[in-house]
Order: sequence, then C-alpha cells, then structure tokens
Amino acid sequence: MTLTFFLHQAACGAIAAAGFGVLFNVARRLLPWCAATGALALAARTCLLEVGWSLEAASFAAAVTVGAAVQLLRRRTGVFRDLLDVTGCIPMVPGSFAAKALIGLFALTTSKVANEQETLITATQYTLRVIVTIGAIGTGLAIPTYLVRRRQKA
Amino acid sequence: MLMEAGASASSIEELAETVARGLGADRVDLRIGYASLAVTIGCGNSGATLMRKVGPLGVNQQLDQRLWRLAGRVALRELTAEQTGAALARLPGETPNHPLWLKALSVGLACAAFGRLLGVDWAGGGAVFAAAAAGQYVRGKMLHRKMNPFLCTALVALLSSVLGGVFGAWAGTATLTTAAIASILLLVPGVPAVNVQSDILDGRPTLGSARAVTVVMHLIFIAAGLWIGRAFLTWWQLV
Repeated sequence: MTLTFFLHQAACGAIAAAGFGVLFNVARRLLPWCAATGALALAARTCLLEVGWSLEAASFAAAVTVGAAVQLLRRRTGVFRDLLDVTGCIPMVPGSFAAKALIGLFALTTSKVANEQETLITATQYTLRVIVTIGAIGTGLAIPTYLVRRRQKA
Repeated sequence: MLMEAGASASSIEELAETVARGLGADRVDLRIGYASLAVTIGCGNSGATLMRKVGPLGVNQQLDQRLWRLAGRVALRELTAEQTGAALARLPGETPNHPLWLKALSVGLACAAFGRLLGVDWAGGGAVFAAAAAGQYVRGKMLHRKMNPFLCTALVALLSSVLGGVFGAWAGTATLTTAAIASILLLVPGVPAVNVQSDILDGRPTLGSARAVTVVMHLIFIAAGLWIGRAFLTWWQLV
C-alpha cells in the first residue's frame, strides 16, 4: 500500500462523512469532526484490508475504533449523543453492494437470464456481505457506547 | 421530535425520562413504536397516559442537540411545564437548517468520494458529483412537497443513475456502471440501518424490526429506480 493510496482513501472518507454531515444538518462547528471520524474509519479499514482482513472484519474493527475515539473526544466536541460515530461510519456502509445485490435478484425474475446460477450466487453473496457488514458496523459502534454507558451507571 | 431527528430508542427513552422527572414525575413508562409513542407518567397516586403520532423520520443533528440542551434545563428545574411546552413548540422553527443548495453540493461531493472509494475514475467522479447533487436537489424539493418517501427514492434513483450514466459517457469515463451506482448512494438509509441494531440491542426488537423493514423497502425502491435507469442507459447504448 502506498502512502498516496492511504491518504486518498482517508480523504475520500473525510469528504463523504462531512458531506453526509451537512445532509444530516450537523452544526458547522462539528463538520470537521465528522470529516475526522470519516477519515479515521477509512484509514483503519484500509490498513486492515491491506494486511489481509476481510471487508466485514475490517469494517467491524474500524467501527470500534471510531466509536472509541468519539467516546474519548466527547467532552471536547460537546456532542451529547452518538451522531458523530454514525456519520463517520457512513462511508463504510456497503451501498453499492446492496444495489448490486438487488439488481442481481431483479435480473433473476426476468425470463432472459444468462448464467442463472452465477447471477444467483453473486446476488446472494452481495446480500450476505451487506447484511454482515452493516451488522459489523452497528455492533462495532455499539460496543464502546455500551461500555461507557455501563461505566457511567456504575 | 427526537425520533423524527433520527435518534435511537435508548436516546428517546433517556430524554423523555429526563424531561418527565425534571417536571416532577415519579415514574415514566414509555412505549416507542415506529409511527407512535405512548408514555405513562406517574406522580404520587395519580398518573396519565398519552399517545402521540410520530412524523416523518429523518436525521437532524442540530434539532437533536437542542432537544438535549432543553432537557438539561428541564432536569435542572429551570423551566415549568408551560415554558417547556412553549420551548418545544418553538424548537423546530428556531433550529437552523443548511440550505438545500448546500446540501445538494455536499451530497454530490460525498457521492463522488464514495465513487472514488468504489474505483470510479476522476472523469466518472465529476459525473457522480453532478448527478448526485441534482438528485439531492430534486429529492429535497419532493420531500418539501410531502411526496411519499419511497416513491421519491425510486424517482431520484432513476434520475441520478441516468444522469450519472449520461454525464459519465459524456466525460468519457471507463467506469460508467459504477459511476451510475455511486450516483444513487445518497439514498442508502445508513443511519436507520445502524439504528436497527442499537434498538434491538437496547431490548426493542419491535422498533428495530420496523426500522429494518423500512430500510429493506428503501433499498428495493432504490434498486427499482436504478434498474429502470440502467434499462434507459442500455437502450441508449451507453452501457
């Protein structure tokens, strides 16, 4: 992995997270934090993918990293709830897999399907990867939040 | 209001309890549904149960933050019930919202970045930016006119994928299919998809399941729009 590729991935994560932050009506002073969490998520995921982790495992670990970072920086950002971590993880949501999975499933419903078995297997693989990756992101984000909440209650 | 701002069930329960106890309630029991909320407030030997319809769900961080600030003031007993009600009624109007053009440009940039992450080349990135920005602008206008969100999703998916394909072909991208897909990523319901799990982990499987069904329905409508868009692009011999 070259440094340029790593920086490219992190920059794209930052732009995607900040862009969605504007859509989610995040306050202007918090948009740099959105960008930072997006960059952190993509940087962590890229590093782990490069060392041979699967997309699902890398997304899980990146989500845990972002969740933990947001909990640590909570006082500094002044955010009461868990929006920064979710926004930061948005660039990792496998939207293109979801679209490809559904298109594949749609294709199976038509009468003219070339390679039925291949289309079915590909669509099923994409569907499973979407479910597992979103599950990994959600679980990864939840772990630091629940640990902090438990500590606050104790 | 917090539900409409995209909060998870645990946040809604915590805020409702903070406000109710700040106003003098002894006990608070909340039932959170996808389209309605029911709360029973107990004070001494008396109690009251109220049910409230939930409006269209979205994500609004500034509204969420202001609700928490207000709840903090109520918890400190700075406000009476009447003052709290009046402040709550004013809150949606007082909360600043980014203008639609800024949202459209930001979403365009975000989708172009998504496209780059998916392997779209630079020429395709420009096409994704323009198509996604146009899609977000039209989506904002449609939602402002209270159009059905699922129908809006399908129409925007169709529009953005066609524009992504046409602009991509015009720009000479070598990754036209991926560019068309990246143009519709603004529609993927990421926050609700993550909330599904937090709701289920918080012991609210009914709400989590309802959210999951909505997420799946959105994805189906996105795919339908994209499917029709691809048919147009194939017909025009662009893919």
